[in-house]
Amino acid sequence: MTRTVDVDERSPQFDSSRATDQPTSATHTRAKVRTFVFTFGIAFTLLYTVLERLNWPLFTYQPAVGKLYFWLHRPLGGEGPPMYWYGWIVNAAIAALAVGWIATNISGPWLRRATVFCCALAALWPTALAALRIYITDWATFDADFLNSVWVAAPPAFAGAAAITYYMPARLAERAWTSWLLIVPIGGLIVLGNSLLIYFVR
Amino acid sequence: MDIIFSIIREDTFWSILLFTHFLMAVALLAAVTLQAASVLTSARQAAGNFIDRFSPVPAASYAAVIVLLYLPQALLGAWMYLKYRLYVRIPMEQLRHWWTLGAFEFKEHIIAMGIGLLPAYWYLWRQPLSDEDAGLRRWLTIFLAVTVWYAFGAGHVANDFRGIGS
Repeated sequence: MTRTVDVDERSPQFDSSRATDQPTSATHTRAKVRTFVFTFGIAFTLLYTVLERLNWPLFTYQPAVGKLYFWLHRPLGGEGPPMYWYGWIVNAAIAALAVGWIATNISGPWLRRATVFCCALAALWPTALAALRIYITDWATFDADFLNSVWVAAPPAFAGAAAITYYMPARLAERAWTSWLLIVPIGGLIVLGNSLLIYFVR
Repeated sequence: MDIIFSIIREDTFWSILLFTHFLMAVALLAAVTLQAASVLTSARQAAGNFIDRFSPVPAASYAAVIVLLYLPQALLGAWMYLKYRLYVRIPMEQLRHWWTLGAFEFKEHIIAMGIGLLPAYWYLWRQPLSDEDAGLRRWLTIFLAVTVWYAFGAGHVANDFRGIGS
């Protein structure tokens, strides 16, 4: 009798816990998918811009001769024009998939901080390099050509990105996280569009 | 490819492909425009505008169509890009059509951005729609619509330079 009562008492609890588990699991999956697709979007658009600017395609296709080369290939005589666009896209997609997967396996606050850091770094690194180049050509009173290097621009860019990440309030980082999904592609298009100005001012 | 070219001429094949690309572009353009208009109208309705009584098109129903059109359209464009690189861009450079060339280069970038945002766009339009992401959903939809409109315009100009009917 006691056992029957126990079982009877437990059954609704058991059912209700199963019922609550299902939505929790669905919510958890949805949250993971959300993290993955948002991170993929931010990472892909950011990496595509960076890879295009650095000209780092995963492969180069030579359509005139139908040849595919790994990484960047400067065309040889008679090979015709090279195509890098496919290589940038595939490179960015693979890297963004990896970043998206990592994002689903780290905590939310870490992800928000990492996003702020990467986006700040992506903005500060070329800015630091541009500032160095302006300094070399307009201000330097000595032979400062050794400063014209992406690696010299790296330390201030990393320091700046780290400072921004450290001082940005956690709440702001969390609220701004989804906004990166629009800020990064629009910023990327501004950078890429700016690099195409040579066609419009000829 | 050789089997196809034994049936139809190579230039006819590429013309058919270009025309298919155009037809898909028109369908995609219609879908993104209606959806963008719908999200913009919803925003105005929420703000209590004079068109309160206007019933917008159910925007969510377009999302699957847009994803299913956007990706194959981008892949088809990427395939035809091979021919563009050899038979359109080189004469474009020789004839100094720099604006057309630059506009088409930007098309490559804007479409790449659109492809990258497509999974997030798909997620944002999944049912049930999240109120938390309403603003992001609206702006991402508009961004995708801009990418499609720009790509259509730049593609059309490139086609006028050397394509069907040019």
